[in-house]
Amino acid sequence: MNFLRGVMGGQSAGPQHTEAETIQKLCDRVASSTLLDDRRNAVRALKSLSKKYRLEVGIQAMEHLIHVLQTDRSDSEIIGYALDTLYNIISNDEEEEVEENSTRQSEDLGSQFTEIFIKQQENVTLLLSLLEEFDFHVRWPGVKLLTSLLKQLGPQVQQIILVSPMGVSRLMDLLADSREVIRNDGVLLLQALTRNNGAIQKIVAFENAFERLLDIITEEGNSDGGIVVEDCLILLQNLLKNNNSNQNFFKEGSYIQRMKPWFEVGDENSGWSAQKVTNLHLMLQLVRVLVSPNNPPGATSSCQKAMFQCGLLQQLCTILMATGVPADILTETINTVSEVIRGCQVNQDYFASVNAPSNPPRPAIVVLLMSMVNERQPFVLRCAVLYCFQCFLYKNQKGQGEIVSTLLPSTIDATGISVSAGQLLCGGLFSTDSLSNWCAAVALAHALQENATQKEQLLRVQLATSIGNPPVSLLQQCTNILSQGDKIDRRGSKIQTRVGLLMLLCTWLSNCPIAVTHFLHNSANVPFLTGQIAENLGEEEQLVQGLCALLLGISIYFNDNSLESYTKEKLKQLIEKRIGKENFIEKLGFISKHEFYSRASQKPQPNFPSPEYMIFDHEFTKLVKELEGVITKAIHKSSEEDKKEEEVKKTLEQHDSIVTHYKNMIREQDLQLEELKQQISTLKCQNEQLQTAVTQQVSQIQQHKDQYNLLKVQLGKDNQPQGSYNDGSQMNGIQPEEIGRLREEIEELKSNQELLQNQLAEKDSLIENLKSSQPSPGANEESSATDSARDSEQIADLKQELATLKSQLNSQSIEITKLQTEKQELLQKTEAFAKSVPEPEQSETVTAAKATDVEGRLSALLQETKELKNEIKALSEERTAIKEQLDASNSTIAILQNEKNKLEVDITDSKKNKTIFWCCWLIRIRKYFH
Amino acid sequence: MAYAYLFKYIIIGDTGVGKSCLLLQFTDKRFQPVHDLTIGVEFGARMITIDGKQIKLQIWDTAGQESFRSITRSYYRGAAGALLVYDITRRDTFNHLTTWLEDARQHSNSNMVIMLIGNKSDLESRREVKKEEGEAFAREHGLIFMETSAKTASNVEEAFINTAKEIYEKIQEGVFDINNEANGIKIGPQHAATNATHAGSLFLRLAAQTGPLAHSLTLSSCPAET
Repeated sequence: MNFLRGVMGGQSAGPQHTEAETIQKLCDRVASSTLLDDRRNAVRALKSLSKKYRLEVGIQAMEHLIHVLQTDRSDSEIIGYALDTLYNIISNDEEEEVEENSTRQSEDLGSQFTEIFIKQQENVTLLLSLLEEFDFHVRWPGVKLLTSLLKQLGPQVQQIILVSPMGVSRLMDLLADSREVIRNDGVLLLQALTRNNGAIQKIVAFENAFERLLDIITEEGNSDGGIVVEDCLILLQNLLKNNNSNQNFFKEGSYIQRMKPWFEVGDENSGWSAQKVTNLHLMLQLVRVLVSPNNPPGATSSCQKAMFQCGLLQQLCTILMATGVPADILTETINTVSEVIRGCQVNQDYFASVNAPSNPPRPAIVVLLMSMVNERQPFVLRCAVLYCFQCFLYKNQKGQGEIVSTLLPSTIDATGISVSAGQLLCGGLFSTDSLSNWCAAVALAHALQENATQKEQLLRVQLATSIGNPPVSLLQQCTNILSQGDKIDRRGSKIQTRVGLLMLLCTWLSNCPIAVTHFLHNSANVPFLTGQIAENLGEEEQLVQGLCALLLGISIYFNDNSLESYTKEKLKQLIEKRIGKENFIEKLGFISKHEFYSRASQKPQPNFPSPEYMIFDHEFTKLVKELEGVITKAIHKSSEEDKKEEEVKKTLEQHDSIVTHYKNMIREQDLQLEELKQQISTLKCQNEQLQTAVTQQVSQIQQHKDQYNLLKVQLGKDNQPQGSYNDGSQMNGIQPEEIGRLREEIEELKSNQELLQNQLAEKDSLIENLKSSQPSPGANEESSATDSARDSEQIADLKQELATLKSQLNSQSIEITKLQTEKQELLQKTEAFAKSVPEPEQSETVTAAKATDVEGRLSALLQETKELKNEIKALSEERTAIKEQLDASNSTIAILQNEKNKLEVDITDSKKNKTIFWCCWLIRIRKYFH
Repeated sequence: MAYAYLFKYIIIGDTGVGKSCLLLQFTDKRFQPVHDLTIGVEFGARMITIDGKQIKLQIWDTAGQESFRSITRSYYRGAAGALLVYDITRRDTFNHLTTWLEDARQHSNSNMVIMLIGNKSDLESRREVKKEEGEAFAREHGLIFMETSAKTASNVEEAFINTAKEIYEKIQEGVFDINNEANGIKIGPQHAATNATHAGSLFLRLAAQTGPLAHSLTLSSCPAET
């Protein structure tokens, strides 16, 4: 604030003094006037002064203006003026009024006023709530003011908006505003809002920003659209760059597919307006954001796949091969294609199959390489092609093989009509343009990266240098150029050529002892390297010295001692003698200390501000990091140590071989074990199954045995002559008891019947006696003949009754005999059944079948027994009825006997007084019968 | 991939209750035993099928820590469903449900379907909140309830799918305004296309009824459909 006062003090001395007073008066009016019109006019006046007298208005009026925003919300006009005024104070955008020397001052002013404004967080929330007002005069200046605040003090304002509920959501609504001005300024506001704030970026994405922005871009005509498209693309980039969550959301929301139409620019040479170029540039960058090598590998590869599937890559390749595309766009398209295919086999394979629409059609790779080694092409384009080639070969052994194979004798097209990638690379390697040398060397190095096979294959390449001379190997030619480097007149930096070749040789020789042997085989190479390293050259040469040291170091480290003259030991002695260990290490260290080294190690893209910066390749810096330490170690080791190590190595190798032997053995045994385990498990399984089957069968057998035993017992009983037939059905637990009971009942019935029959016989005899006794007195007494006749009638009746009883009894006994015969049958059946039950030793199936047969018979028996039981029940009922009848007849018989006795007594009496008492007795008898 | 509907979900609840693990189990079918604090919000997506229709779920997994609460609030309004998660082995996480629910109700649209989830049901021995209590809370506040285990994957699918079913039913009932994307629901391109053919067939029917004039209308509407 001191600064502000100072500025104000300086200015207030001049003629502006009156203006300051005016502003003061206006502020007073805003603060104290009770009339809305008056206040509104005062604010309008302040607004008109705010551009010219930004500082004064800002200092004096800000507080009052904020108060207006709080209290006069009902009047959109005054709110609009107040917001405009605040915008003029805070924004640095319009600086026409400000003198040239105070540009920095004004920037400070903006941030100072912003600081004052946001000091009260409520002011920002107030502004956010004002944005809900639909009125154009409020919303538009509100949007501009907030944008301005965000531009001035982004992080602080972002934080306030983030913590105010629905703050971001409200701002997102601006994109849906039907008034284009507000929508477009809303995009700018969101740009400022999302800058470097992941949390806000995510919320904005959550609020359907992708959908809205892509819609706007489509509506505006994609790349043909105006600056709005550009603004939307910048906002999209803000949302996606380095925000994995949003990238994932973008991919999952299938928005990649919606990018494809952006690149349908066609072949038309018309209309490459500056805006279109800018738009396309941003569109391409947006694609690159999604597949950047810096993203998590999984995220990048899934986006790459999506881009191939929806045809985006194919569309980009069309642009690549189209004519009339501005170099700027072409370069960026190449870079984009590079990153879309990098490390993704499917996309790399597709790229290898792309042909240029030339006659005859050439592979796109060949066409691109032609541009790379063509010195007339723009530098950035050549870099882009190199990047594309590198990305094509990245983790692509197949591609590497294809490129190297175009150099091999068998495949070279002798006719020379079509140019191959290999020919172009060799041409570049040995051209007089140092940039081409460097690019070709690096490109070739990438064909060898982490691929031992191709390193060996490349050793086979022979070159025909000039007519009459014998062919030279590619490796030899490279070293030749290195050693003669200074003699050839080249365009561009000489260092570039040598650095390029040295990088190629280092890559080639590392991890490839055969290549090392080939290299050392040329006796000129080692003296050249030691000479280069040992020389005390200027700073310019330091890098080459370092690379030479690295190459020599590689020749030692990956040396398999197959050359007698250049064993590890001898080379080390050479270093000791000619260069000195310390000196060698120091020279080696020059590489990583170089100013361009760290720059190249940051990202894979060869991106150099100008050709002079083109020194290091990204992959090469990785190699240096890997080898610097181990080479230093290898050099420092004494020969004894080396020998020891060699010995140790040998023993280790021996151990290794022993270990591998045992390992193999263990592996085999493991396999065997595994097999055996499997066998055991299957056997176990089978065993279990069998055991369960056995237990089942054992239990079955037990059952059958039990049955058999029972049947045997029955058979035994049946065989006894007096054996009861009921035993035949002992198998059924209930039946024997029942049958026994039935037998007893029948027995009882029989005895009862016998008893009854006896009784009947007795009674019969009695009655017979009576009969015989009665006629005698009747014959004796003729007078009582009629009476006795009646008597005999009655007795005849009784006799009849007895006869019926007898017949009933007879039928009963018949039934009983019937029952008996039935039982006999039963017995026979059981006997038959018992006989039919076979020995348990016999096969179980037969037993089972018979058992079921027996069971059927048993159930039949059961049924029969039931029937029998019923019959017996009926019989017993009948029996009781007969019994009752018998009782009744017995009682009558008893009475009759009584009477007879009395009659006899009377008869004997009447014999004495025949006539006197006859009548009386007669009357008595009559009485009784009535 | 084509889908009939797209639903936006948020997962809320105290820190350490297993929100991110639920999401990981649902999207990747794996369990991450180490608690990796969520910063802000993370995104995940998966396709499910309801009633024979493909439904895309976009899920925002929020940070449970108090300091991120204000950020979380920004996600309520645009979500169609919320999974409110507590930890059955920590009573305090259950006690905080009321606060979460108030927050959600205040900032979300009123139709948002909220599923209450008692997570870590595999840790029965350390249980502090009875299942009945969770059920009672859900009943009282009109929520759906489930106990899940992100570790064993028990009920995880069901939790996400049942929430979607509820939303789907609400759509069928016409409760949701599906044309307003601010509700967290979007009609898929496929579905929109079938809607268009419906309109087309309506036109055809109209054409059959009214004759040549309408027929020309149909012809003119055809390219619009394709």
